[in-house]
Amino acid sequence: MAVVDVHRFAESITCHAWSPDHSMVAFCPNNNEVHIYKSVQDQWERLHVLEKHDQIVSGIDWSSKSNKIVTVSHDRNSYVWSLEGGEWVPTLVILRLNRAALCVQWGPKASYLFSHIQFPLENKFAVGSGAKTVCICYYEQENNWWVSKLIRKRHESSVTSVAWHPNNILLATTSTDGKCRVFSTFIKGVDVKDPKAGSPAESKFGEQILQLDLSYSWAFGVKWSPSGNTLAYVGHSSMIYFVDDVGPSPLAQSVAFRDLPLRDVLFISEKMVIGVGYDSNPMVFAADDTGIWSFVRYIGEKKAVSSGSSYSSQFSEAFTKFYGQSKATTANDGSESSKSRGGVHDNCINSVVPLSKAGSPKVMRFSTSGQSLIQN
Amino acid sequence: MFQANPLRLYLACIRNTLEAAMCLQNFPCQEVERHNKPEVELKTSPELLLNPVLICRNEAEKCLIETSINSLRISLKVKQADELENILTKKFLRFLSMRAEAFQVLRRKPVQGYDISFLITNYHCEEMQKQKLIDFIIQFMEARYRERNKRVEDISEHQRKTGGYRVSETVHVKQLSCYNKFRDLFCKSGKSPLELLFTSIPTAKPESGEAGLKGARHDEE
Repeated sequence: MAVVDVHRFAESITCHAWSPDHSMVAFCPNNNEVHIYKSVQDQWERLHVLEKHDQIVSGIDWSSKSNKIVTVSHDRNSYVWSLEGGEWVPTLVILRLNRAALCVQWGPKASYLFSHIQFPLENKFAVGSGAKTVCICYYEQENNWWVSKLIRKRHESSVTSVAWHPNNILLATTSTDGKCRVFSTFIKGVDVKDPKAGSPAESKFGEQILQLDLSYSWAFGVKWSPSGNTLAYVGHSSMIYFVDDVGPSPLAQSVAFRDLPLRDVLFISEKMVIGVGYDSNPMVFAADDTGIWSFVRYIGEKKAVSSGSSYSSQFSEAFTKFYGQSKATTANDGSESSKSRGGVHDNCINSVVPLSKAGSPKVMRFSTSGQSLIQN
Repeated sequence: MFQANPLRLYLACIRNTLEAAMCLQNFPCQEVERHNKPEVELKTSPELLLNPVLICRNEAEKCLIETSINSLRISLKVKQADELENILTKKFLRFLSMRAEAFQVLRRKPVQGYDISFLITNYHCEEMQKQKLIDFIIQFMEARYRERNKRVEDISEHQRKTGGYRVSETVHVKQLSCYNKFRDLFCKSGKSPLELLFTSIPTAKPESGEAGLKGARHDEE
């Protein structure tokens, strides 16, 4: 993997999302606006500025099928933007939150419900908040707005990250109380019950399926693997946790690594995960054939990987996107012992976003921001 | 020079702890809507605070580092060998604390039981580089040690020359001739140790350091 492209959009980027055709990127430059840039012949042009929020925009997600952008902010509001006639028009979302919203994610693109038939989805999105609740929002046609159902119980602190399982029912959340929980978000009238699955416990909204107590410190960045079999999240104690066979008897592994904690993870494939965080250098974790996860290498370094042969094909295929915070470098007084951290990023990396082709299960590209790198 | 090695170890320990502790992120307040407060000062949500770390060089010199999810507080206590050092330290640190805006990361009042405190929030980490912030704190401490030693030597020499005043706590500070020397040394602009402190602030706006310097007034009693 190597850095393919570097773009410096702003001093500091809070969060970002790519358009379905990957030609446009929407991000928040650490203020209350959302900027949309389009790539025109290797140059990035600012197309739109979405200004509706009062405080910093903490989460952006761009749906692939319906081309809508959802933004959530610390001012407790959320808007769904749709492109009408060249302008982005916001639609109100009734979140019913009394604290800041921290993260948002559209539901999965499609569900292979009856093994070969794809059901187009993205009819729900989840918002994690500082009110210790999760809002699941769906569209109500008759009133032309998005309404929410809240998962009020269980969380003892702010919900930092949410992730949808590919079946559009299960939702994993992480919180600053150190726990990762999996809930059922079945909504009557919106979701279709899967006759194959047939587990009654999953059909009640807000039902907690699983609670993982692996971390002693705050938990961030939860993600499901592409098949939904494995869950990964990070803890602030420089640990990353992998849970296989999520269900009644999960198998959990904790991998401790040196250096600073991570903020976000991304599954490139079933067996490979990229972690980004305070080290400014993305890390690669992989599972070997027996299913044991371990740290492989940093992306910035050119070290030879001993177990490289089985992963090299995945490396050459995988691109992902990271976004991070950057900072203006100031004049150095020539003081000793200030280590220079990994190559491209100056500051911590906030999040990682995949740039996969629509419909393909493998994630091909990823980028990091602050400056936006597209890594090969 | 005999102090150099233990001092280096102490500062290296503080530096490593700060590198681990300064992993801050923007986090809105859980207690009050639409607010964003440094959680280490607020202390209302215990799950957002990490264990404080106390690094002691000896009984009289220590450094307390308290971290939370969006802010970090560093409190220092320096050794004072005698009354003179005590007075000098208090005056000097009060002088700095009153100009805390210029330093941005300095806290106006030190934490109870300590001489000086810094408060670093996620906003500082976004604007400035983390490594530079850590360098600033360590350089500040190094400069303090150097300055203190130098001041004590200067004042002892001055005492000898003026016929040997005994500095005791009953003597009013204003009557000390060495106090005037203190004012000359600290309040004149362009003095190199203060320059180090004022202009080595790792900020993208260098003029704030100079403004702090120019705006320095001596309004001690």
